[in-house]
Amino acid sequence: MLRSPARAYKPLRSYAAVGDGRTVALVAGDGSIDWLCIPDLDSPSVFGALLDSTRGGRFELQPEIPFDVQRTYVSDTNVLQTTFVTDRGCVRVTDAMTLPSGLGPGRELVRRVEGLSGRVPLRWSVEPRFDYGSRPIRWERRLGFPVAISGRNAMAICPSSAGEWECRGGRVGARFETAEGMRTQIVLSVSHQEPLVFPPQREVDERLESTIAFWKRWAGSRTYDGPWREAVIRSALALKLLVFAPSGAIAAAATTSLPEELGGERNWDYRYSWVRDSAFTLDAFLRLGCPAEAEAFFWWLMHASQLTHPRLQVLYRLGGGTSAPERTLDLDGYRGSKPVRVGNGAAGQTQLDVYGDIFQTAWLYVRARHHLDQDIGRRLADIADLVCKIWRQPDSGIWEVRSEPVHFIHSKMMCWVALDRASKLARSGQIPDRRLKLWEREAEAIRTFIEAHGWSEAKQSYVRSAGSSELDASLLMAVLLGYDDPSSQRLQATVRAIRTELGKGPLLYRYSGEDGLSGSEGFFLTCSFWLVDALARLGDVEEAAESMEALLTHANDVGLYSEEVEAETGEFLGNFPQALVHLALINAAASISEQRRR
Amino acid sequence: MSFWGAMAGGFVGTLVLTTLLRAGSEVGLTRMDLPFLLGTAFSADRTRAKAIGFGLHFVAGQAFAAMYYAVFSAIDESSWWLGGAFGLVHGLFAGTALVNTLLPLVHPRMGSSQSAADTSPLLEPPGFMILNYGNATPAITVITHVIYGAIVGGFTAIST
Repeated sequence: MLRSPARAYKPLRSYAAVGDGRTVALVAGDGSIDWLCIPDLDSPSVFGALLDSTRGGRFELQPEIPFDVQRTYVSDTNVLQTTFVTDRGCVRVTDAMTLPSGLGPGRELVRRVEGLSGRVPLRWSVEPRFDYGSRPIRWERRLGFPVAISGRNAMAICPSSAGEWECRGGRVGARFETAEGMRTQIVLSVSHQEPLVFPPQREVDERLESTIAFWKRWAGSRTYDGPWREAVIRSALALKLLVFAPSGAIAAAATTSLPEELGGERNWDYRYSWVRDSAFTLDAFLRLGCPAEAEAFFWWLMHASQLTHPRLQVLYRLGGGTSAPERTLDLDGYRGSKPVRVGNGAAGQTQLDVYGDIFQTAWLYVRARHHLDQDIGRRLADIADLVCKIWRQPDSGIWEVRSEPVHFIHSKMMCWVALDRASKLARSGQIPDRRLKLWEREAEAIRTFIEAHGWSEAKQSYVRSAGSSELDASLLMAVLLGYDDPSSQRLQATVRAIRTELGKGPLLYRYSGEDGLSGSEGFFLTCSFWLVDALARLGDVEEAAESMEALLTHANDVGLYSEEVEAETGEFLGNFPQALVHLALINAAASISEQRRR
Repeated sequence: MSFWGAMAGGFVGTLVLTTLLRAGSEVGLTRMDLPFLLGTAFSADRTRAKAIGFGLHFVAGQAFAAMYYAVFSAIDESSWWLGGAFGLVHGLFAGTALVNTLLPLVHPRMGSSQSAADTSPLLEPPGFMILNYGNATPAITVITHVIYGAIVGGFTAIST
């Protein structure tokens, strides 16, 4: 149960996400929607109080008297229910972004209010701030409803039996009182480059019910039947929110610039799709029994990566574009964490690990009984040839450090994965085998380099970069991707060293050493789940299960995770909800389940 | 000016347009692949889709050449530059309405701005002026259509 928080900035842990496959709204525990980008996830925000409490815009809906909060998703859905408990009674708010049907709005956010007991005074206020709060708004009245218009976007606020609204000071709102059994709603109808639709209440009700039915059907179709099913399905639903339905891409998170350190500069835009996440994404989709999403993602990845062929860009836009110029916005940032960035400069970095990711993705796709057509086979062979040429170069690594490129050992391992999988694909006739000997020879050369320069006798571990003595949790991928046999002394020692040096209980930091940025960061949840996965694959299944249990307690009240947790307070840090964390959770649970069945 | 001249121009123009688009793809300027986009409307098998798409693209090239001929006949004038002007309009129409708006709405495997969580399309939507397929795509689309139009116009003008 959450206590009613103050307005200003709320803990990141207090947010829940609702979405429709195109965009995501974040709902705080006090009923305020503080983040929504329209029309799409990577579009500018219309509610951005998360990044600027004064100028960002929000949609508040809460009791006017002190309250406690209980929240849950409607079982197996991405529809949120917030119950406000007050001295005078209880009221439940159901939040959803409905899926389109009929002549529905371009984007529709529904907030249904139901009186459960007593009489509860409520107030609501919609304060839209288009284009990250930078564009002026014109208010008009259409068909009796207030409409906010700004450039190509318009938002109609359609309350029914929710008080006499008034528009003042850039916001529209009202007060009303709920009684037991009373049901009302406030609907936001959003249009982008098209006329607004004013939805009749009956149609809104039908869409909300069909949206709930869809999510239940989707969650019920997942084939995962291992342990922690509730957490796994919640993670699957969170991932589904981050799948950009028009293209099949998966966004790394729904937000930009939520800080990795409060007040710090480690604030990045995660509303792009990273090649780094691709193998985990496909693996998780396949393990969950999501063949449609897996195929759509693979098609998107192969299509998006075509433009830079044979080189891969670190990240792509959700629509498949390659341009992601980074700029800063004139916003205060979450709790003063500046700068607020949109775009991502990492797009221009060299990261060798992405080549291993794309080959692992293709390998998983083929193992799931799919066939690579000639064109994709030829392109993958070209990429393998490129890896042979460039693996000796330094790079910025999986963590996209902003310091000078070095020889990251994880990157070399992923180059090995690339050539190993390329060789396997060639031997199985999926891609041309004209350079098979070269790929095998270079894969062996990479392994020789790693064993010679990437192992520290003093640390008894593979290290972060060639010749260094720093550790990096990304080296756990050596276990996850089969760089060596699980019985390898070096692999087992590396896992022990990472736990000792980077860990605290089940939680891990990403790495030790420099990254070109000031400040520090919290425990990195993805790496923590990778550790669970690695332990399971190395045979320490019960220890992995214990760590899994401990990590699950770090989810928020509705089962979601951000990128990191703060070491002292356990507060969430970084963008939210984070796809890679939920992917790692699913894969860790599945690995434990598979190991137990052996 | 003859209908069959326009048809011949349509065939050659489509051949050149397709070749230039493919070349643009090979050198990394665009991911635009019209035969692929058209063919995947009928098959999820990529190789078969491309074969079907090539056929459809040539049929479309002939259909547009017939439309060009209709306008040439209506104004009783044809030339390579007039055909090029038609091609300019054709290219802009293709980028803004035909491929960007109409194709995603009728293509069973292509996403659109209306695609939501209950769908999993296999092809990303092209976006305005097909920009999702690369920043150079609008220029390539317009230029290749201008060339197509000029060829149709030229063939129509010199045929008797």
